[in-house]
Amino acid sequence: MTHDRSPEARAPLTELSDAPRPTLAQRVGSKSVAPWIFIAPMLVFGAIFFILPLLYAGYISLTRWNGFTAPRWVGLGNYDYLLFTDPRFWDTFWNTIYFAAGTILIGVPLALVLAYAFTRAYGQAVWRSIYWLPYITNVVAVAYIWQFLLDDSFGLVNRALDAAGLPGPGWLTDPSIAMTTMILIFVWMQLGHNLLLFSAGLAGIDESYYEAARLDGAGERQLFLDITVPMLKPTLLFVLITNFITGLSYFVLMLVMADVAPQGPIKVTGLYMYEMAFSDQRLGRAAAAAYILFTVVLVVTLVQLRVFRRGGVEAH
Amino acid sequence: MTDHTHCIRTIAAALAASTALTGAALAQDGGTIQIATHYNQDQMAPLLACFDRYTEETGVEIEFQQASYRDFLQTILTARVGGTAPDIYNIYSIWAPQLASSGTLAEPPEDVASWIRDSYGEGTVGAATINGTLYGIPTELSVYQLFYNKKLLAEAGYDGPPETWDELKEIAAAITEANDQGNITTAGYVYGPSVANAVHIYYAQMYNAGVAPYSDDFRTTNFTAPDSVNIIARQGELFADGITSNSVTTDDFPAGRAAMMIAANWQKQTMQEAFGEDFEDTVGIAPIPGDGGDPGTMLYSFFWAVDSSSDMQAESWDLLRWLNEAQGDADLSCTGQMLNDLGALSGNLSDLAAMPTDDSFTAPFVEAIESGAAASQPNIWQAAENDRILRSYIEQVWAGTMSAEDAMEAADAEVSAILSEQD
Repeated sequence: MTHDRSPEARAPLTELSDAPRPTLAQRVGSKSVAPWIFIAPMLVFGAIFFILPLLYAGYISLTRWNGFTAPRWVGLGNYDYLLFTDPRFWDTFWNTIYFAAGTILIGVPLALVLAYAFTRAYGQAVWRSIYWLPYITNVVAVAYIWQFLLDDSFGLVNRALDAAGLPGPGWLTDPSIAMTTMILIFVWMQLGHNLLLFSAGLAGIDESYYEAARLDGAGERQLFLDITVPMLKPTLLFVLITNFITGLSYFVLMLVMADVAPQGPIKVTGLYMYEMAFSDQRLGRAAAAAYILFTVVLVVTLVQLRVFRRGGVEAH
Repeated sequence: MTDHTHCIRTIAAALAASTALTGAALAQDGGTIQIATHYNQDQMAPLLACFDRYTEETGVEIEFQQASYRDFLQTILTARVGGTAPDIYNIYSIWAPQLASSGTLAEPPEDVASWIRDSYGEGTVGAATINGTLYGIPTELSVYQLFYNKKLLAEAGYDGPPETWDELKEIAAAITEANDQGNITTAGYVYGPSVANAVHIYYAQMYNAGVAPYSDDFRTTNFTAPDSVNIIARQGELFADGITSNSVTTDDFPAGRAAMMIAANWQKQTMQEAFGEDFEDTVGIAPIPGDGGDPGTMLYSFFWAVDSSSDMQAESWDLLRWLNEAQGDADLSCTGQMLNDLGALSGNLSDLAAMPTDDSFTAPFVEAIESGAAASQPNIWQAAENDRILRSYIEQVWAGTMSAEDAMEAADAEVSAILSEQD
């Protein structure tokens, strides 16, 4: 082995040894360290309250655990039971899909049309505030209000229908329409939130597009369908994805309404999981159900993203 | 006085007060016992007064924690996971199998166990017993009987309650009224919206028919027995014939819009508040109508239990015995006094004897307990889960989407699968 001992070869070493070492404050303040320090609280928070529970739930889903004794390893047994044996899981799953799809099919177009109308109306802020109120109202209060309004015999809705000579359905008590009623109540609760998002999206569309289209003779319907809707695709994508995720995991309204409505027709997977975990002490099975639901949400979200990208969202 | 002086004096006073409190706390060297119940502060008032007396006598501090009935098991679970479990619980007997199986419940010392067996009825001791092991001290008993509105029956031309199910159906049909939309405004008979409102009624009717809903070892069901199917089919007929519906519930009885229901005695206070001075003239209690024969029914019970992880187990059992024995010149124990104030019945024989139970509302319930007609609700494995499954199938019969035979067969298959999980 030979060593280059020429002055030229040793020069860089001399320079390095002569360079002042960065102080701790300089290191902390450097671009490579400082950002990590700023986001560290969020990372720690996320690790403790999201990553660790997620991983732990994954482990728990592979065990049988009642919360009182040590978990017992069952491998994929919980998944196998839920997917291929449990007679209830799929019923609750389809109820969940029905609920999520129903809230989107009714709620999103309604919010879009209202938001569009309000951009052309006086007192936009007042209208938005009115529609926002149900969203910030406690769900228990919402449930009680609607129970009074929808009472079969004495509720205001059926009394009004009776005055008009129309039949009064069992909005909450008829098993065949109880879930549809849940969808309508949820849409009413969620409307203000979606409306606000669409309003923000609409505010971002340059008025010159509309002016140009009007000069070309476009009517209001064409303006809405050919300018507003395409330009709102990013907002629409966001609203659709968040609404679908909310719809798939939502169960609070059904939990509160459980003492009024029939048990089966309004039972969604979220509520079924909740009962499994905290009423039946089947925490492992509940965790497996959560992971199955998580997978469904993930797949649907990815599909939505892909479909909308093809539709030109990336252009925005 | 300046603000600064005022501030200093306030701080000094606060320090003095906290020092005094600390000193008082240190003087109490008997430890602290935490008690969790589903009863609220108002309902617990007699017991809370007893807690203060007990602290004065023994130096043991007692802390009361309330958890709602619906969240009670979840609360225990969370508290145990967090290492903050209360020392004493007041639990519903059907929760006991899981709690006992997981080692959550402590067994009482032999002297306390002997005292329980001597002081409580056999049926109620059974409610606190899992696989032959006694786990606690029975408290509140709830017995199911037929409630009927005397005035509504009289208006329909009936001067007494039905004795058979056919009579019940006939009377209920005569009373039921609907509005122009076909929705019932006055119901001849009502069920309730909760799981218990369907399942407990079914169990009570099963015992009334002389058939236990579960096998003796609680590993199989009798849901498919002819009597069982018949009971559910008859319930479905009430809905199909428009005599009852999901629109009307047990809440309509105190509102005077329902003529009959099968319910438990803890409703007494609600009825008294609803009907006021007309209570005795309006609310009648009768045995559950069946097909004749000896009237049977079901009772369920709560009981005091001690957490096995408590480091105050001996003190907890001492406290519980003190709370459940009449002290001094009192006729009722502290627990008995609380139950009496609630209009509830006690499983403690001395308390039951000392309670004023000869009124027309209470007497039929006490009669069912003392005669042995009321059988204890079976403490089956995963009871809450099984009850919910059963309710879902009963609901389908009510809705007319399943026959009674199919529903009970399906319920039997699901529930039997769960019962087979137990070791």
